[in-house]
This record gives sequence, C-alpha cells and structure tokens, in this order.
Amino acid sequence: MQRLSVILIKEWRESLRNKMVLFGVIFLPLFLVGFSAYMVIQAGGTDNPVAQIVLFNTSLMYFLLLPAIIPLAIAVYSIVGEKEQATLEPLLATPISDLELFLGKALASVIPALAVNWISFGLFLGVTRLFVGSVPLQTLTAPWIASIFGLSPLLALFSVAVTMLVSSRSSDARAAYQFSSFAILPGIIPLIVYSSRKTLVNLTLVGLEGAVLLAASAALLFFAIRVFSREQILTRWK
Amino acid sequence: MIVAEGLTRRFGDLVAVDRLDLEVRQGEVFGFLGPNGAGKTTTIRMLAALIAPTSGEATVAGQKVGTANQEIRRRVGVLTETPGLYKRLSAYDNLAFFARLHGVRDVPGAVERYLKLFDLWDRRRDLAGTFSKGMRQKLAIARALLHEPEILFLDEPTASLDPESARTVRETIEELRSEERTIFLCTHNLDEADRLCDRVALFNTRLIKVGEPAALREEMYGRRTVVHLTDPRPGIEDALDLPFVTGIERIDDKLIVTLPDPDRENPLLVKRLVELGASIRYVNELRMSLEDLYLDLMEDDDATA
Repeated sequence: MQRLSVILIKEWRESLRNKMVLFGVIFLPLFLVGFSAYMVIQAGGTDNPVAQIVLFNTSLMYFLLLPAIIPLAIAVYSIVGEKEQATLEPLLATPISDLELFLGKALASVIPALAVNWISFGLFLGVTRLFVGSVPLQTLTAPWIASIFGLSPLLALFSVAVTMLVSSRSSDARAAYQFSSFAILPGIIPLIVYSSRKTLVNLTLVGLEGAVLLAASAALLFFAIRVFSREQILTRWK
Repeated sequence: MIVAEGLTRRFGDLVAVDRLDLEVRQGEVFGFLGPNGAGKTTTIRMLAALIAPTSGEATVAGQKVGTANQEIRRRVGVLTETPGLYKRLSAYDNLAFFARLHGVRDVPGAVERYLKLFDLWDRRRDLAGTFSKGMRQKLAIARALLHEPEILFLDEPTASLDPESARTVRETIEELRSEERTIFLCTHNLDEADRLCDRVALFNTRLIKVGEPAALREEMYGRRTVVHLTDPRPGIEDALDLPFVTGIERIDDKLIVTLPDPDRENPLLVKRLVELGASIRYVNELRMSLEDLYLDLMEDDDATA
C-alpha cells in the first residue's frame, strides 16, 4: 500500500511537468464546462422542447466524455514515458509487485480523471446557477446523477485499460495517444447516442451502458494485468 | 552469495544463456565479461529476479530465484545498461522515489549521503533531464546503492564517465568490497576489470572460463620473463641450455623466456645468460593483458563454435 502511494505521487509529480497532460487535465475540462454551461443557458432561452432535450443531453455527454479522455494522456505518458526514459527496468528491480505497479499506474490516471470530472460538474452547476439564476432541474435527475457518479468511474477504468494495452505495444507517445483515442470510441458511442435522443436520458439507458462498460472493463483489465508482468514488460514490450 | 546451476534462458529458438554454472562469493568483485549480445544482461536479469530462467536454478543472497523474487530484489541493487532516470524529476526526487520503493527508513539521509558521495548535492534540485551523461550515470549508480544492497549488479558502470568520475566509481567499488558486499560487474573495460575484479568469467552465451585474472593468464600463457639485452647478441637463444626453460622467443633485443617457476628460476637464467656473454639491461615479467586473454579466448571459442 505504501509503495502504491509512492508510485501515485511520482506519477502526479511527473504529470504536473508535462504540458500535454496538463492540457488534458486543465484546459479541456474548462473548455467543456464553458461549452456545457453555454448550451444549458441556450436551452433555458428556447421554447422548443426537443431542442432543450438535445442541449441537456449533449451537455451531460461532455461530463461522460471527460473521464474517458482525461486518463488517456496521463496513462500514455505514464507508460510510454517510462519506455522513452528507459526507467522501467530500474523500477522493476525494486521490490514492488507487478500488481502494485499496475494499480499505481492505473489509479494515477483514474483518480485525477474522476476528481477533475466531478469538480468540473460542480463548476458547471455553479456557472449555470450564476447565469440562469438556478441549477436547471434536468441536470439533477437520477439518470444524470447516476451517469456522473456511476458511469464516470467505469468509463475511466475502460479508458485506462485500453490505453495501457495500447501503450504496452507502442514506443511513441503521440501514436499511442492517437490510437488509444480511437480504441476508446466503442465505450463512448452510447454517449453520442444519448445526445441525439429526443427524450431525456433515463435510468434504463444508464444501467445498460453501465453493464456493458463493466463487462468490457473487466475483460480489458484482465488482459492489461497479464501484460503488466515483469517478464512481459522486459521481454515483450517494444 | 550467488550460485547458478545450469541456468538457461531461451527466447523462442534463441538461446540467450546456456547452462550457466557459477559461484560468486561474498565480498568478491566478480567480473562478467563477454561481447555484446553474449547474454550478460539476460544473466543479470535472471539473477536479479527480473525474468525467470527457462531451466536451471539460481540462489542469490541465500534466496532461490523464482520463489523469493521480492526478497531478492530487496537485497540486490541493479545498475542497468542505460541510466534510466525520470527526466522531469529532480535528482533528489529521483533518488527519493527509489529509496521509498525500497523501504529505506531514513530517505533524506540516504539521498543526501549518495548525492554528496557523487558530487551531485549542489545540483539536487535540477531536473535529471538537464544532467550530462556522466552525471546521469553517477545518479544511477547512487540509486543502485541507496538501499545498501548486499549484492550489486553493475552493467557498464563507468561507461560514458569522465576519468575523474570513473575513478570515483572504481573507488566506490573498492569501498563496497571492503564492506564485504558482493559486486557482479559487467564491463567492456578490461583494464578496469583487471584492476577491480577478484575473479572474472568469460562468457559468450555459455561460460568459457572463470578464475582470477592472474591465474587465467598463467594458465593460458604460462609465466614469461623478458630479458632486455644491451646488444642483440645473435644465437644466444640457441645457446641457452637450461633444462627448466620451456620456451624461448627473440624479438629484437629482447628474449622472452617461458619458465614454470620464474621466482626461483630467474636468477639462474640471468646467471647463465651472463656466462654466455650477454649484457643485460633489465629483466621483467611479461604481463599479458586481460584484453589479450579475452580476445584469445573469444577467438578460440568462435573457432570451436
């Protein structure tokens, strides 16, 4: 447990000095918060109920995109960065276990993703309250809350597992980032479907998406843990 | 301290290490010499419990490889071929990170000690990415020593170091030896191996030869005395009629004489040469370098293969 926290702190220290990671963790969420708030404000100003629904669903989608996108840069640089700096072997020569290393790397991406997403959601509520005068009721319904707090961790896990698998086979951070961005699309497609619906997101949809993500994440994590063995890292990783 | 029996590692059809039998004693500086691609790094990885052998067994610091890997990693320090430092972290943070992973109790104390030992204390806050090659190597060596390992695996420790830093490393190795720590040293610097190592192993996928450098030289070349003459007296080598001389060679004004026991036979040799009319400038022992030995043994090995 102590070694896990040592890994986490090191990962975050390195991330804070990486512009690419900082962009994904700070600027992208700020941009999406602004854009979501703008859409909700627009929804309050229109009488067309279908347009309102689409705008609300789309702004929800942004808060489900963030936990999938934020871990990409952190996880890619966490693994490909180790390869580029040739630090994996010295790291593996310590008494750290394979599982501690895997969890350290995974949590170093998942925790900031969730924290930033939830802070962004709070910021979004604050901004909309400031400009609309109150928090729109549609954003505090059970499906929204279930999505923000239930689906986000699963999306982050899914994204991290995909990125770790991709990064293990890549020696170029940008290529791994781009490939991972494509590889997480299957997890995001249902969110895009949300935004095109003419009815508000409901619990059934959220539950269905959650079940699919849980199964996919479990399968991917199983393979990612297997790929994350010392033997594999030192002899198979490129 | 390190015992390997039939240690073998295959990668598919490629045999990287073939039935290695080895014993390294406590407090010994053991040189592991061989060409690039000989399997030295694979051997270190197996002995440091980083990868599993395909077959064979090894015991490191009393722990069996494969069953007590974490304990082995706790007790050994590894300097890898490349320094492998986190370039976005400071020198201090690099060492502190590894010290914490190794469970060092006094992390600030250990980091300070080794940064000072390698003259890096003043640069402790600088990012490792701004360091020169030599400084990175010193930082990597400091990292391998931080947790005071019983056994140290050093892969090319003085490569890319300036002479002063290389000397610091060599002195550190000497100091570690005096502390009874075991050092497994892979190097291409044969002069360094000759100076530092108690024993060396010549290795090219399989073990070719192991022993003390002086003993290996004697076994390979015998002991030879060089007699420097003031005048190149022709035919004197043919006139030398001593029964214990097992070989004689003439190069310009030098006689190179092979003797089974030069300590006892050199005075007799000098006496006889003077009797034969030779005028001797000085006498010394021909010391073949470890490089000569290495190249000859590798050549023999290639011919055998």
